[in-house]
Amino acid sequence: MGLYDLRRADSSVKLGAILFLLVLGYAYVFAFLMVKTWAGLTPEAVQATYVPAPRLEAEGLPDASVTTTEPLDLRDIGQERHTVDRSLLIQDSHIHIMIFSIVAALQTLIILGLGWPAWWRHTVIVTAFACGALDFAGQWLMQFGLGGFAFLTIVSGWGMVAVYLVVLFGTARAVLARPSAVETLS
Amino acid sequence: MSNRLHRSLALAALPAMLLTAAHPTPVVELVKKVEVLRQTLPEGDKLFVRTIQLGKDDVTRIEQEAHYTPDDPDVRFYLGKDGGGAVNGVVLFAQTNTKHGPVEVGLTFRPDGALSSAIVTKATVETKPWVLKAVRAGLMREFEGMQYGGDVGVPLMRHEVTDLGHMPHYMAEVIAATVERGLILHHLLYRES
Repeated sequence: MGLYDLRRADSSVKLGAILFLLVLGYAYVFAFLMVKTWAGLTPEAVQATYVPAPRLEAEGLPDASVTTTEPLDLRDIGQERHTVDRSLLIQDSHIHIMIFSIVAALQTLIILGLGWPAWWRHTVIVTAFACGALDFAGQWLMQFGLGGFAFLTIVSGWGMVAVYLVVLFGTARAVLARPSAVETLS
Repeated sequence: MSNRLHRSLALAALPAMLLTAAHPTPVVELVKKVEVLRQTLPEGDKLFVRTIQLGKDDVTRIEQEAHYTPDDPDVRFYLGKDGGGAVNGVVLFAQTNTKHGPVEVGLTFRPDGALSSAIVTKATVETKPWVLKAVRAGLMREFEGMQYGGDVGVPLMRHEVTDLGHMPHYMAEVIAATVERGLILHHLLYRES
């Protein structure tokens, strides 16, 4: 099956492609705010969200409890950090990885019509699928105590944004190109 | 080809909407801890925090009585004391972790060990509507006056609670179990001095 050319496609196809990307961008704004609010943007903050606290092991404790009483300043009772435990991560993974793959597949449909050279097309398609998978791979590795993989989750998140911008730019260029210019280019 | 693409792209907005709608279920603070202390301890009291760093013996007792191992080695009681140093109330935030995320209940104890207040302080985006439905049915008022050894299952039998529907009733059960856990922790760990 040959590839199609978005520049020559029906106006409804162009409309669908550009609206999909704009709405996806709209969703990404909230995804960014969500991540910023609940996980953080630095490796330290991401680790604190996903790396589980060490389990309480009775063996390492003294026999008797130790009690201390101190005056309380209400400002010391701050907002607690949101953390993601294993069951919550399973819940997150089952929906997100599926949605990420659907988004990557739809981006691929658009990419196929952009007239890009095969090496660049393949690079962007693989990156689109890989970022979603690696985002959660990083989260699971952190869940297993490997905090250093916070970078994988962060880089994958920004990778999804990069793929989005590349596809949006390519799509806008194809959709907005004047027919005469298209003919000249082709 | 064009028709197929058209159909595919026309559906393109759907996953984008799902991306926002089906996001994780982060923890939501229903009532701030500070607000629980302000609302349930007598105004003008001096506030103190009593931290119990758990030892083996207490961990074993908690495991035997409450059938769980605390995640946090520190248990905190928030005390309101009058000018003479007498304790007017004690607040403990008890938590239960479920597959739907944590539920935390702020429990305020009178000096005699009975509950004067129980307020759900933490749920998740997913469980919040179920929790609020249970709370609005008057569940939390039923715990007032309860002491260690009291049957936390009784409030669940009220018809307002039994008629809540499956998930709100499940959350009511989780809340009741959390209250029971708090009563046990208070009984085992809190000492007047």
